[in-house]
Amino acid sequence: MHSVLDLLTSGVHDAKNQLFIAESAVVRAEAEHGIALDDARFAIEHAARRLQRALTAYRCERELLALDVGMVHVPDLIDEAGLVSEAHLRQSGLTLDVACEQDLPPWAMDRELVLDVLSNALHNASRFARSRVRLSAVRDVDALVLSVEDDGPGFDTVDAAAMARRGLGLFVAREIARRHARNDTCGRLELDNGGALGGALFRLVLP
Amino acid sequence: MNDPGRQRYGKLRFLVIDDQPAARDGLRTCAQTMGAFSVEFSSGYKEAIARVRRAVPDVILCDYNLGEKRNGQHLLEEMRRDDLLPEESVFIMVTAEKAYENVVATVELGPDDYIIKPFSPDRLKFRLDRALTRKHFFRPLFAAKRERDFDAANAFIERHVDSEEGKPYRFDLMRQRAELRLAQGDAEGAQQAYRDILELHPFPWARAGLARTLLRQNRLAEARELVDGVVEQAPLYFEAFDLKAKICMEMGDHAEAQRTVEDASRRSVRNHARKRLLADVALRNGDAETARQAIADVLEIDVLGEPPSLADRLMLVRTHLEAGDTLAAEQAMQTILPVELETADLDDKTSHIALGVRLDGEGGAARFAARSAGMVAAELGLSASVDVVLAAIALGDADTARSVSWKLFEKGTIRPVFAQLREAFASGGLENDFRDMQKRAALERIASAKPGAEAPADAPVAQDTSAPQAAPEVDEGADAPQGVETPAAGERPAD
Repeated sequence: MHSVLDLLTSGVHDAKNQLFIAESAVVRAEAEHGIALDDARFAIEHAARRLQRALTAYRCERELLALDVGMVHVPDLIDEAGLVSEAHLRQSGLTLDVACEQDLPPWAMDRELVLDVLSNALHNASRFARSRVRLSAVRDVDALVLSVEDDGPGFDTVDAAAMARRGLGLFVAREIARRHARNDTCGRLELDNGGALGGALFRLVLP
Repeated sequence: MNDPGRQRYGKLRFLVIDDQPAARDGLRTCAQTMGAFSVEFSSGYKEAIARVRRAVPDVILCDYNLGEKRNGQHLLEEMRRDDLLPEESVFIMVTAEKAYENVVATVELGPDDYIIKPFSPDRLKFRLDRALTRKHFFRPLFAAKRERDFDAANAFIERHVDSEEGKPYRFDLMRQRAELRLAQGDAEGAQQAYRDILELHPFPWARAGLARTLLRQNRLAEARELVDGVVEQAPLYFEAFDLKAKICMEMGDHAEAQRTVEDASRRSVRNHARKRLLADVALRNGDAETARQAIADVLEIDVLGEPPSLADRLMLVRTHLEAGDTLAAEQAMQTILPVELETADLDDKTSHIALGVRLDGEGGAARFAARSAGMVAAELGLSASVDVVLAAIALGDADTARSVSWKLFEKGTIRPVFAQLREAFASGGLENDFRDMQKRAALERIASAKPGAEAPADAPVAQDTSAPQAAPEVDEGADAPQGVETPAAGERPAD
C-alpha cells in the first residue's frame, strides 16, 4: 500500500531519470557535431527543477518536508548557483555578477533545496532584468543572507506572503526559509525593491 | 577545449556503476565530456567490487539504485570498511532521488559528494573539481592515518583547522579531528570534538559519535540515553542500532540488544556484518536458535567469492553447541581443515581447541590439557575466552576457568559475557568461585579508586548477584583497554 506521496515521488524520480538520459543524448550530440545546445539543456534541467519543486510544494502543504542539513562552504554554493544559471542569463543578454563575503564560516543548510531556491530566483530575475543580475552572500549578525537582485521594474508588492500565493517558486522558497531554524530563530524570505541595482531584491535569510 | 581540467581528467581512471545501460551511457558521456579517457563500467554490486579489487579507480560515479535490494550506499560502506577503496579515491553518488540527501546527512560513512539527476557535465565537473581538490589537500592526513601515525595526523588537523588554506575544509577537519581522537583512544578529546560539531547542528552521526565516546568512558547510562535519541531521530541509520546494541550488551541488557539488532537486520538485508552482530548478541542473550540462524545466513550470503571465514564457521559450531545440536556442531566442525588452522590467529586456534572439548570428550580433553597453560597466559578476545571457560568447566578444570575469567574481570571487559559465565560456573557447581572473583574485583576497584573520586553507585558486593550491574565497572578515567569499546573488539572484526 503506497501513499499518494510515495506514488508522486516515484513518478518524479522516474521522470528525472528519463530527463537525465535526454540531457546526456543532447551532450553527446553537442560533442559529435561540435555544436552548443544550451537551450535544450536548460529546458531539460528547468523541467526537472519544476517537477521537483512541485513535489516539494506538496510536501510543504502536507507538513512532510524534512530538511537534510549539511555544512556548506558558502562560496561553493554561490559559484554553483551561478553556474546553473549563467548560460541562460547570458543567452537572455544579461550579465551576472557574483559576490561572496570573505571568511564566511561553514553554514548549516539543505544544500539542494537552497540551490533550487536560488536558481528559481535567478530565473525570475532573468525574466524582468534589463541588463544585470546580481547574486551575493553576506553575513548579517547571526544570519546568512543570500540575495538575488536585478535592474528590472521590481516587485509590484513586496509582501512575501502575498507573493508566495502567486507562484510555486516563491511559495516553496518561503517554506524552505521558514524550515531552516536554529535555536529559536527561523529563516525567512524577504522581498524588496531598490537594492544595489534598483530593481527587485530577493533575500533568503538563514539563521 | 584547452581547459587545464581536461588534462587533469585525462589522467584519471573512472569507474561508472549503474545497472541501467542508458543511464550508464549518460554518465560515460559526462565523464568523457570532462576529458576523461579511461572510463570503465560495472552493471552491479558484485562486478563493481571485483573491478575495484583488480584496479583501484581514482573516481567512482555510482548510481544509488543498483537493483536486487542493493544500493550505492551499501557498496560504498563495504568498499571503505574493507579497505578496498583508499580515502584518496573520490566516490560520487548519482541519484534522481532527493531522499538520498537524507542518507548523507545521517550516516558516518558518506560519499565525497552526491549529485541529483539530471545534471550537465559542467555541474558534475564543478563538484568533482572540488572533491579532487579536497582529496589533494587531505593527502598527508590520509597517509598518516594509514600508517597510524597519530601525531602526524593530529598535527595536520591542528595546523589547518584555522589556516587560510584549510578554510574551505574547516568542517571536514572538525569531523576528522573527532574521528581521529576516537580511533586513538582519546575518548575525552573526541567527546569535546563531537560537542563542537553538535554546536553547529545536531547531526545524527555526531550524536552517535558522542555516544561512542561515552561508551568508551563507561558512561553507559548517558551513552544509552543519547543513542536512544539517535535511533528515534534517524530510523534508517542502522549503525546507530548496532551501537545501541553494543551499549545494551555492556549494560547487560541482552534482550534489548537483541531486539535492536533484529530490528535493524530485518530492514537491512544482506548485511553480513550486522548478521554477525546478531549472532553474537543472541548468543549472549541465551537465544541460541536465533544465533545459529543468523550465522548460517552469514555463511549463505555469497561473500563475493571469498571462502567463508574461519571465525564464522567457529561461530556456527558454537551456536549449534549452545542450541544443544551436537550433530550439527560436529558437521560444522568438520568443514574446518587442519591446514586452515595453521594460518589462523590465536583466538580462532584457541576456540577450535576449546569447542573441540565439547564435541570429542577424550581426544579434545588431551589437546586442551596440553594447551591450557598457554591459554591462561594468552590475551584472548571475549568469544575465545568464553569458549575456554566453558571447556574448562566441562572438563572440571576449575583453575583454568577461574584464571581466564579473572582476566576478564581485571580488564573490565566481562560485562557482555557476565551472565553467561556466571551461569556456566553455576552449572559446574562453582557458584562460589564466581562470586569470590566478583567480590575481589569490586574490592580492588575501590582500593584503586583515586582519592576524592566519585564513589561507585552500586554496592561493592551486591547481595543479589543476578544484576549484571553488580559486575565491577572500570574506573572512569582509567585507561580503558581497547576491548572495552565494543564487546566484539577483542574478537576478530567482521571482515
